[in-house]
Amino acid sequence: MSAGQSPIVSIFDVTKDYSLGKVVVPALRGVDLKVFPGEFISIAGPSGSGKTTLLNLIGCVDTATAGVVSVAGQDTKKLTEKELTNLRLHTIGFIFQSFNLVSVLSVFQNVEFPLLLQRKLNKAERKDRVMQLLEQVGLAQHEKHRPNELSGGQRQRVAVARALVTRPQLVLADEPTANLDSVTGQHIIDLMKELNQKEGTTFIFSTHDAKVMNHANAVVRLADGKILDRVTSAEAQRAMAAGAEGH
Amino acid sequence: MFQLFLIAFRNLGTHRRRTLLLGGAIAGVTALLVILQGLSSGMQESMLRSATTLMTGHVNVGGFYKLAAGQSAPVVTSAPKVMELIHKEVPELDYAVQRGRGWAKVVSETGSVQAGIGGIDVSTETGFRKVLQIREGTLDGLNEPNTLLVFQQQAEKLGVKVGDTVTIVAPTMRGINNTVDVRVVAIAANVGMLSSFNVYVPSATLRSLYRLKDDTTGAIFLYLKDLKQVPAVQARLRQTLAAAGYELMDNDPRAFWMKFDTVNREAWTGQKLDITNWEDEISFVKWTVTALNILSGLLISILLVIICVGIMNTLWIAIRERTREIGTLRAIGMQRSRVVWMFLLEALTLGSLGTLVGAGLGLVVCTLVNAAQIAVPKVVAVFILSETLNLAVSPKVILGSMLFITACTTAISLIPSFLAARLKPVTAMHHIG
Repeated sequence: MSAGQSPIVSIFDVTKDYSLGKVVVPALRGVDLKVFPGEFISIAGPSGSGKTTLLNLIGCVDTATAGVVSVAGQDTKKLTEKELTNLRLHTIGFIFQSFNLVSVLSVFQNVEFPLLLQRKLNKAERKDRVMQLLEQVGLAQHEKHRPNELSGGQRQRVAVARALVTRPQLVLADEPTANLDSVTGQHIIDLMKELNQKEGTTFIFSTHDAKVMNHANAVVRLADGKILDRVTSAEAQRAMAAGAEGH
Repeated sequence: MFQLFLIAFRNLGTHRRRTLLLGGAIAGVTALLVILQGLSSGMQESMLRSATTLMTGHVNVGGFYKLAAGQSAPVVTSAPKVMELIHKEVPELDYAVQRGRGWAKVVSETGSVQAGIGGIDVSTETGFRKVLQIREGTLDGLNEPNTLLVFQQQAEKLGVKVGDTVTIVAPTMRGINNTVDVRVVAIAANVGMLSSFNVYVPSATLRSLYRLKDDTTGAIFLYLKDLKQVPAVQARLRQTLAAAGYELMDNDPRAFWMKFDTVNREAWTGQKLDITNWEDEISFVKWTVTALNILSGLLISILLVIICVGIMNTLWIAIRERTREIGTLRAIGMQRSRVVWMFLLEALTLGSLGTLVGAGLGLVVCTLVNAAQIAVPKVVAVFILSETLNLAVSPKVILGSMLFITACTTAISLIPSFLAARLKPVTAMHHIG
């Protein structure tokens, strides 16, 4: 976190409620958070603590019930649906727990898709960009494969490449290793970390895996829809260990 | 856009059974539409070919001559002068013929029929030979005076064959019955309704029966090089003939024999010309085409509704199955309009492929039916003016059918496509199902 920089994500007193019939379920309660460019932040907490909801609000795929969510200096509440979509397209990359690749497109086409939506690059430039990323994630040989011809780890690497292909300022990853074995999960986190350090891309990822959390510069701990604290990964590890002993 | 098309195309391939079922239904309806339109066009074609040769030209200069208020005859006096004017003023003309008109009783030893009598100069009637199929005798026999051409149906009713003599009885313009004995020289194949009330004799025979002058005829039939010129020629003739001093009847789009009552009620005497076109003269049989078109339209509409419901259902299922995909695509920055396009393209691709197959199928069926020369029941032949089934398919009809069905299936897919686009990314991404 640097003092002179503007935060890429700024959340102030955000509340998010879900209605289940007549019952209102609070998912986030008075959350404040600032994330600065280049950070590699983990959001940790037990299931139902509000990790995914927080990521959804930052990712502009959902709106807060109250409070202010600003991404790249823009108050998301003031943006139209079209502007929100453009903000997602040009500023944010997504990595999903279940990879969420388009099953009928090849690896290359999946990664290329956001570039086609952006309409900024010509065909040759797109090809260069996609192949460069596929090289980085080690899938250049699999460019013509369909997602169902790949392992879970390979699919998640395609998802990482797709999230990064537009060179976004911010990448959001919702439990990116949850559906992978520990070795593959470790590779994915290493890859994200490498890209964070090389490209300076901001990463925010949710996890409840201590090993994954270990790689983060900072860990934002959530419980019952509230931020408990923002600590270093070592502090988070210690707190988790103490919690485990207490039980 | 190519990527969206690719997604649409591959999704159709992924759900092969569903695509085949729905595509098959679309193909079936398209084939049916092509066949029904072929039938309708075939009927119109047969009607146009038969009727415009036997009963009317593309444009006709006919008229009535009245000796007294209630006595009218369907004749054109001083026909050569009118013919000269026509040749001068109608460059679109292919050829023109004079045709005598009358209504008489044909009596044989065993029976009689009431029929319209056409007086023809067979040597000038080029279209006549193309349309009529002579079953017995020869058309050239009509070059001799006091000869007669009848259709099979009439020949059976009269109990005559080629060489037999019959008597034609007709009232002249002055109200006196006159008769002429004629020899049957040709028996032609039936051409539906027209063969029940038309017989043909040489022009000279008709003139002697009605005691008409040599320069008098029933009407002048104009055959144009291009049918599209009919309205222009009709309008020009009205102007030119009026300017040349001829009295003209008001435009009345009916066959000449339906106008006797109206003409007889009017007070004028002398000659009045009447300019009509082929549609006016066969308006009394055209309802069959209209009826068929209405029936076809109804049938196609019902089938289209079924297909559209099928398309909508399929897209609902596709959208339900791909809700998470829609959510993902929206999350990574796809605008709502593109989601609409993605599903529209799927429907468009399915519609295009289905209609292409259907059009091909329809074309094959039509070709086979035409080649088989399938005989139709007599009652049907009366209305379609042909003894065999004729399905006329043109590229215009095929393309029109394809575009129409594709447009319908694509338009109906707008509803589920819009609803898919309206899904909130977060709701769509967490959809289970």
